[in-house]
Amino acid sequence: MTVAPEDVDLSTVDLSDRDWWARPAQERHAALDRLRAEQPFAFFAEPDLPGIPAGPGYHAVTRYADLEAISSQPALFCSGRGAVSMQDVPAELHEFYGSLISMDDPRHAKIRRIVSKTFTPRMLERTLDSVRAVVDDVLARARATAEANGGVVDVVTDLAAPIPLRVICDMMGVPEEDRPGVLARSNVILSGGDPDLIEDDDPLTAFLTAGMEMAALMERLAAERVADPRDDLTTALVRSEVDGERLTHQEIASFFILLLVAGNETTRNAISQGLLALSEWPQERARWAADPSLDRTAVEEVVRWVSPVTWMRRTATRDGEVGGHRFTAGEKFLLFYNAANRDPAVFADPQRFDVGRDPNPHVGFGSKGPHFCLGAHLARRELQVTFRAVFDQLPDLEVTGPPDRLRSSFVNGLKHLPARLTGVR
Amino acid sequence: MRVGADRERCVGSGQCELLAPDVFEVGDDGAVRLLQEDPADDGAVRDAVQQCPTGALSLGDAP
Repeated sequence: MTVAPEDVDLSTVDLSDRDWWARPAQERHAALDRLRAEQPFAFFAEPDLPGIPAGPGYHAVTRYADLEAISSQPALFCSGRGAVSMQDVPAELHEFYGSLISMDDPRHAKIRRIVSKTFTPRMLERTLDSVRAVVDDVLARARATAEANGGVVDVVTDLAAPIPLRVICDMMGVPEEDRPGVLARSNVILSGGDPDLIEDDDPLTAFLTAGMEMAALMERLAAERVADPRDDLTTALVRSEVDGERLTHQEIASFFILLLVAGNETTRNAISQGLLALSEWPQERARWAADPSLDRTAVEEVVRWVSPVTWMRRTATRDGEVGGHRFTAGEKFLLFYNAANRDPAVFADPQRFDVGRDPNPHVGFGSKGPHFCLGAHLARRELQVTFRAVFDQLPDLEVTGPPDRLRSSFVNGLKHLPARLTGVR
Repeated sequence: MRVGADRERCVGSGQCELLAPDVFEVGDDGAVRLLQEDPADDGAVRDAVQQCPTGALSLGDAP
């Protein structure tokens, strides 16, 4: 089934509607193509959020050049009024859940530099063996699961979720027994209110409870690290100082949640939807599997193709003009990375999945500006190791059904992706 | 070719270290450190300067 941009009725497209984001990828990209070509600063109303007064709405930025212009001028387009919600939620809420993401320089840079060394290519080189060991173990368990279930596996729960969960929990020093709880709460925090991920409560209560439970875990680990420092990120957070002052408990908890949630969800969705893309483009799969020298470009293409984080918000700090659009102070812009990543002004044949694409200046890790993804090098490494290991150890992995998509505008996620190992009898 | 770095602007994203590891390193304080100030003119160094997310790197003529 192909959906051409001209088939889309733009009057039915509401980027604020999380149900719209569960629609098939082709249909969503066709709509984003139309918006980019015809209404590059399309205006949308904000969805209702209980207890929050309705806000003025936002502009959806879909052209690569406009997105880069906004992202690279953080003094004019700030993050400190909230980068991860369309609505203007109370400051203490967006600071707690956004941490660095919803903070501006100079404090953002100072806090980020506490951990930036840990996420550099040189430092991560040292953890390569442990990432390989995690991936090998997860893949072996997935094969055992398939053997016990007539060959059936779930790409999300058996492969894509456990790999980044274990890697980031190892780096943070989260004990084994706490990890299932971290996964469940991380899912709730980024559920976008998807009812499948929220069991009893209303979405807001579930969201706040998950945050408090993660903060309680951090308090417990932090107390242990004060008495008994270790070589992990939690110890680094507890001992760190900015301008001669220790971070507050709230700042540490919020940073801790950010690292765990961001480390988990994004890489998971790149793995699951990268494998989905390979099943839809079998020639690209064969080409990449046969040639490890393509690992670098192929992983960048997976990140462009999937765009695991759909948008971040910026808010104008004063009046101005960008890309021919005049704006006033307080206007909100949502930067749609998935749309910019398929802008034909930058990418030749953008709707083609090409594991050799080079150059590939995608914005899947964010565009120019201080908020470029902290975990980009870690994610690249996890993805390179994972896909190569899948080709070697699960060559018979075959996607068998349609993906069960997360109903969220913010995270491009899958809840399930049915598959089987055809070698299992 | 002379390379400059603004350590206040730098957030330690490590893009430069990825592209030109002989010239750039993220230091223990989380900001960029120059391993050479006058590296040979090299496409990778130019890419690193151009692609720095925060624009913290600059190129100038060698003295």
